[in-house]
Amino acid sequence: MMGWRTTLVAIGTVLAGSALAGMGAQAQEVPGVTKDQIKIGSFGSLTGPTYLYGKLTMNGVDAVFAKVNEEGGVNGRKLVLVREDDRCDPATAIAAVKRLVFEDKVFAIIGGGCSNAALAARPEVIKDEIPFNVFASVADGISDPVSKYIYTTMTTSSIESRAQLQYAIEHKAKTIAVVSQHDAWGQSRYTPLMEDFKKRGLKPALDLEMTVDDNDATTQALKIAQAKADAIIMVLYAKPGAVLVRALNKLGQSPMLIGQTGIADPVAFAKEVDIPGATDKFVTPAAVRYAPTDPEVKDWVERIKKMFPNDNLSVFNLMGIGAGEVLVAALKKAGPDLTRDKFLEAMSHIHVKTDTYAGEIVCNDPVSHQCNQSVAWLGYKDGKAVALGVTHLQQN
Amino acid sequence: MMVFGYLLATGITTGALYALVAIGITIVYKATRAVNFAHGDLFMICGFIAYTFHVMWGLPYVASLVLAVIAGFAIGAVSERISFRPAIGHGIASVLLTTIGLSFVLKGIARAIWGGKGDFIPFPPLVHSPPISFADILVPPQQLVVLAGAIVVMLLFAVFFKFTQLGRMMQATADNPKAAKLVGIRTGRVYMYTFAVGTAVAGSAAVLMAPITLLYPDIGFVLFIKAFAAAVLGGLTSLPGAVLGGFMIGLIEAFSGGYISTNLQDVSSYIVIMLVLIFLPNGLLGGAALRRV
Repeated sequence: MMGWRTTLVAIGTVLAGSALAGMGAQAQEVPGVTKDQIKIGSFGSLTGPTYLYGKLTMNGVDAVFAKVNEEGGVNGRKLVLVREDDRCDPATAIAAVKRLVFEDKVFAIIGGGCSNAALAARPEVIKDEIPFNVFASVADGISDPVSKYIYTTMTTSSIESRAQLQYAIEHKAKTIAVVSQHDAWGQSRYTPLMEDFKKRGLKPALDLEMTVDDNDATTQALKIAQAKADAIIMVLYAKPGAVLVRALNKLGQSPMLIGQTGIADPVAFAKEVDIPGATDKFVTPAAVRYAPTDPEVKDWVERIKKMFPNDNLSVFNLMGIGAGEVLVAALKKAGPDLTRDKFLEAMSHIHVKTDTYAGEIVCNDPVSHQCNQSVAWLGYKDGKAVALGVTHLQQN
Repeated sequence: MMVFGYLLATGITTGALYALVAIGITIVYKATRAVNFAHGDLFMICGFIAYTFHVMWGLPYVASLVLAVIAGFAIGAVSERISFRPAIGHGIASVLLTTIGLSFVLKGIARAIWGGKGDFIPFPPLVHSPPISFADILVPPQQLVVLAGAIVVMLLFAVFFKFTQLGRMMQATADNPKAAKLVGIRTGRVYMYTFAVGTAVAGSAAVLMAPITLLYPDIGFVLFIKAFAAAVLGGLTSLPGAVLGGFMIGLIEAFSGGYISTNLQDVSSYIVIMLVLIFLPNGLLGGAALRRV
């Protein structure tokens, strides 16, 4: 009798356990999604000098998530950001993606600080079939060729290069010189710049090279003075850029100086050149149209200060905010029965105006997953960065 | 004509600075038969010391130059004691490795003290006037000041080396260390002074160069390579050769960049050196190789 009862209890337990397991499995069908939470992963530098591109941008995303959660979440689900440090290293980035996918089991990834790390992670993302929105890396190779899973809301290298030429033309430059580094970074921008010149039927008046370690740009400045160039497209890091500007100043030259995000901060650049007035005509592109000190982003800045009091407020916070808003818009558009496919479908033709990006975010699947074709220009005036306008490009 | 003149002025100025750094490499090599791979970083440290005096503490430029040269002398002496002297009896490889190690230490020190300000630091220009015109040749006054300073340092060094007792002891030790010992010259001390003087001369170059370029911890290596190329071109054992080599490298860079392509600016000097060494293995003014007995 005892044995008969024990057997019945055992069978009942097994049946009940199976039923519960079945219910749990159904709820966990979509990785990272439960009835009250959506887990989003992020990878980027959390430490070291490149933390700007990772940690600060993630802080911006977290600020968006906090605001959305206060308003009830997305379709009743709160957003949670899970961070992994890739230390700006390719191998570490691949490991970070694996951890996010297989250990943290996130629904999607928003991240990518350093381009080399994000480039290395691309095959892993595609293999794991996980949506990945790039928020700070600029290398074109991350999102081109188009992959179903990868979108970027950051202005890429080629977009910056095309915007530089567009800016020169919009500002009526007649004689355009190009001064560029020809290392891997420089080539990724120089090549699309030259293609854009060709496409428009134009040629640069001068095509000059500098290296990162050049301590003298007299030759370049002399050629620019001879050619009477009124605009210089600079595909340079800050150091050779500063050497060039100082050399131009020595010769009394003050053309338009159109930089790239290799010289991201016009205030810092003015200090590095350290010659009053030498950078008055310098402009640099930014994916976001505001500086952290602008009143239009006051609420966001207050939120960031409260959540992350140790942050040196930066445009990277604002980039994270823009990227976070795009992600949230796609999640909302995907609806309450959230799946990765629905999210990717939502991203594929999204049109979003964010609080920080320079222009509308428009994804144009299958033509391009580079969704940010607008570049804001920052200049330097009276010791501060000033917003100077926006260049909108046609999507290639 | 304007372009030619400007490139000539630039080439001579840059060449004079390369020559000063090359002098330091050559006098150390003449005395010890070892290349001091930390020489460029000693140059760099002197530049940052001058920055500290002039920009951070507000001292006048000339005072900062003098103090940086004195500091360079002291640092050069210490570097000989801690890197060269312990390795001297253990073969040339040990000497080279310790100087390379010292190079990394100096870079680390520079990054720790000044690196926090960013990748590089601007040194304020000495003069802000527009270029001066000499018979259709345009010359920035900044370059004239730097060139004048470099020539003064070269002349002072020549006087020191030829007419002072220490300079003659350095020559004697470089020519024949055993014979120098036999006549009572304390060669160990002479080596120390050789390093110290070499660093002081390079330090003066750093301070002269700083207003026309930027300071950063890796600048030492970049300058070392060019100055070493100048020293090899001139003949590693010839001081006049080091000066000649420095000016040649400066001019070749300026004219190749100006008249051929800016792509060539960095590599042109090395191409010329390769060609010279193929046909003149001891450099332009270096003597035939002699075996010490």
